[in-house]
Amino acid sequence: MATKVVMPKLGATMEQGTIVNWLVKVGEKVEYGEPLVEVLTDKVNIEVEAEMDGVLLKTCFEAEEVVQVHDVIAYIGEEGEVIEDTEDETLQQASASSNSGAQETTKEIIPEKLTGTESQAKIRRTPAARKLAKENNLSLEIVQGTGPKGRIQKADVEEHLRYSIQKTKATPLAKKIAHSNHLDLGQIQGSGVNGKVVRDDVLKHSKAEMDASVHAVKKTSFTGMRKVIADRMVQSAYTAPHVTLTSEIDMTNCVNMRKELLPIIEKQNGYRLSFNEVIVKAVAHTLQNHLSLNVSLQNDEIIHYSTINIGFAVAVPNGLVVPVVKNANQKGLAAITEECKTLGSLAREGKLLPDHMKDGTFTISNLGMYAVDAFTPIINQPEAAILGVGRIQEKPVGVNGEIKLRSMMTLSLSFDHRIVDGAPAAEFLTDLKNVLENPYKLII
Amino acid sequence: MRNITYVEAIREAMSQEMRANQDVFILGEDIGIYGGAFGVTNGMIEEFGPERVRNTPISEAAISGCAVGAAMTGMRPILELQFSDFITIAMDNIVNQAAKMRYMFGGKANVPVVIRTPGGSGAGFAAQHSQSLEAWMAHIPGLKVVQPSTPYDAKGLLKAAINDDNPVMFYEHKMLYGVRGDVPEETYEIPLGKADIKKEGTDVTIVATSMMVHKSLEAAKLLEEEGISVEVIDPRTLVPLDKETILHSVRKTGRVIVVYEAVKRGGYGAEIASMIGESDVFDYLDAPIMRLGGRAVPMPYNAFLEQKAVPQVEDIVQACKTIMNK
Repeated sequence: MATKVVMPKLGATMEQGTIVNWLVKVGEKVEYGEPLVEVLTDKVNIEVEAEMDGVLLKTCFEAEEVVQVHDVIAYIGEEGEVIEDTEDETLQQASASSNSGAQETTKEIIPEKLTGTESQAKIRRTPAARKLAKENNLSLEIVQGTGPKGRIQKADVEEHLRYSIQKTKATPLAKKIAHSNHLDLGQIQGSGVNGKVVRDDVLKHSKAEMDASVHAVKKTSFTGMRKVIADRMVQSAYTAPHVTLTSEIDMTNCVNMRKELLPIIEKQNGYRLSFNEVIVKAVAHTLQNHLSLNVSLQNDEIIHYSTINIGFAVAVPNGLVVPVVKNANQKGLAAITEECKTLGSLAREGKLLPDHMKDGTFTISNLGMYAVDAFTPIINQPEAAILGVGRIQEKPVGVNGEIKLRSMMTLSLSFDHRIVDGAPAAEFLTDLKNVLENPYKLII
Repeated sequence: MRNITYVEAIREAMSQEMRANQDVFILGEDIGIYGGAFGVTNGMIEEFGPERVRNTPISEAAISGCAVGAAMTGMRPILELQFSDFITIAMDNIVNQAAKMRYMFGGKANVPVVIRTPGGSGAGFAAQHSQSLEAWMAHIPGLKVVQPSTPYDAKGLLKAAINDDNPVMFYEHKMLYGVRGDVPEETYEIPLGKADIKKEGTDVTIVATSMMVHKSLEAAKLLEEEGISVEVIDPRTLVPLDKETILHSVRKTGRVIVVYEAVKRGGYGAEIASMIGESDVFDYLDAPIMRLGGRAVPMPYNAFLEQKAVPQVEDIVQACKTIMNK
């Protein structure tokens, strides 16, 4: 009996994974524990190991295909075993029974497989849903079904209509044109009275869509990491009231300290100290006295953490990830440098493990390598705050009645105003400024 | 109003019609002094005498042949078959003779016979005395098929059946004989082909017959507590079928479950389901039409297995939840 290999659930939020590539070919032997397939989860690539000895009999998905968690992706069994292709079987059965009406089949025929080429036929919908949609000139392609197997039921259409009526008012002609072109009226900006969508709006929208498709070089699916990042950003931006405080820091002392420490640390462990690590250390150090920011809001509870785990955003191809330096306040600059550098290169190679990104309590987003002075970072939920770091630039600054050139840098602290108030956030930023301007405090 | 049993209601219908019309008489095995297998004709021989309450030999073929012949020659016989299962022995007379005479004689002969017979399970009478074979008869052109579920319906429908000029199969349910209900003393008829809404509701229509009407009502009460509103329709007569009432209800609820005690496969519930699917109410369906019927097994003698063989209240509750996607 062949054993099914399913898409593993590798994180609490993981709902689907992308097959990156098969590490074993169909027909080859695999051993227990041997890497079988590389899977891209929300944010990382993971090698999934075989859970038994045997021969890889069949793979159900090609590279780059997105698979729901727990769906069967392959079969492992004994050599020579044949895995029936259920889809083909269904097709054969269906055509056989349509050829001779008298033939009785005991297996249920799934009609959707037969007409899979027609996009309309893929949608399961009840007659009542179809009728209501027709009466309202609504294309069922844009309605989400909640019935068995995603079947669109009357209630789904009603819900959609309620939502879109709330959202969009449109003239009958506009509705008709939108319907015949499969356009969602909700997406169209109305220029009529009270924002009513009129014919021209629909035509303009339709033309814009066409133009967009003409100019588009290629289309990529909005799935995997891109989708996860998008969902989290939207969720964070919409649920947490963001307030951003900015402060200009005189980094001259830090620049000097880095110059002094860089060769020492490099000699010690081979890694080059950068400002990022200095800031990680400074933030962790300051947070110790501002634990009211070291919290998270989860399920209507504010969780206070005693450990300080600093995440730092790393840009990777097609997205960004946030590896975490755990207990950063207890580590020296050399150790933090080593850890940040290691995590950074793992991140860029796509080899971070879920553990590397777990349990962060505060995040730093550093755009200092670009021509960016200040920005509004979006909080990495469920954390309570995030620090945006701008570039260091020499600026003329008044020092004791004289104008001097100093290395200046702007920090932007976004905090979740539901759980953190302005004053404690401001105090934290003030103390952080103080530490960075007098960096030797870090070694006291 | 009086509260009487299903048995009493049937007896009263027959007695009233026999008093009103000298052509009406009853015949069957042990229906005289013994009062019939279920006591339906208790005391009737005292009032009407052995001429009009005729005990017969134990031969369903003979009794049915006699009844059909009497009907053709101007009488209005009511035939009692002790168990509906025994209809197999009377089959030729009913299916090949009674059902076709009027048609074959160009309307010059009527067969106003009523064949009363108890069907259904629940009494532990095992495989040869517990079947629900009404679909067989509903299949035959020329026969009317009646399945009353309450004493009130039983009286009104039986009177209509007796006064109908066509052969009528009148299926009683042996477990309903003791059920009580309000029945007016005066004479009244319920026209054949008129369904009854036993309970109004908005979410799911249950079309149920005979015993299943009561089980469906019980299920509806439980579902009400969970916020599912069930409408229970009792067609009362399978032939003619009141399509309008059923379709109107399904149009309202968008969901329908047909519940019947007979074996699901090939049962009359399939006819009702198809009728809905073929009608213009199709466009109002918000879920596939469901059937809930008996299992394809000979009725077990063992009481527990007997229960398992036909739909129970909890099965109906579950079906409603399934169709409601809950």
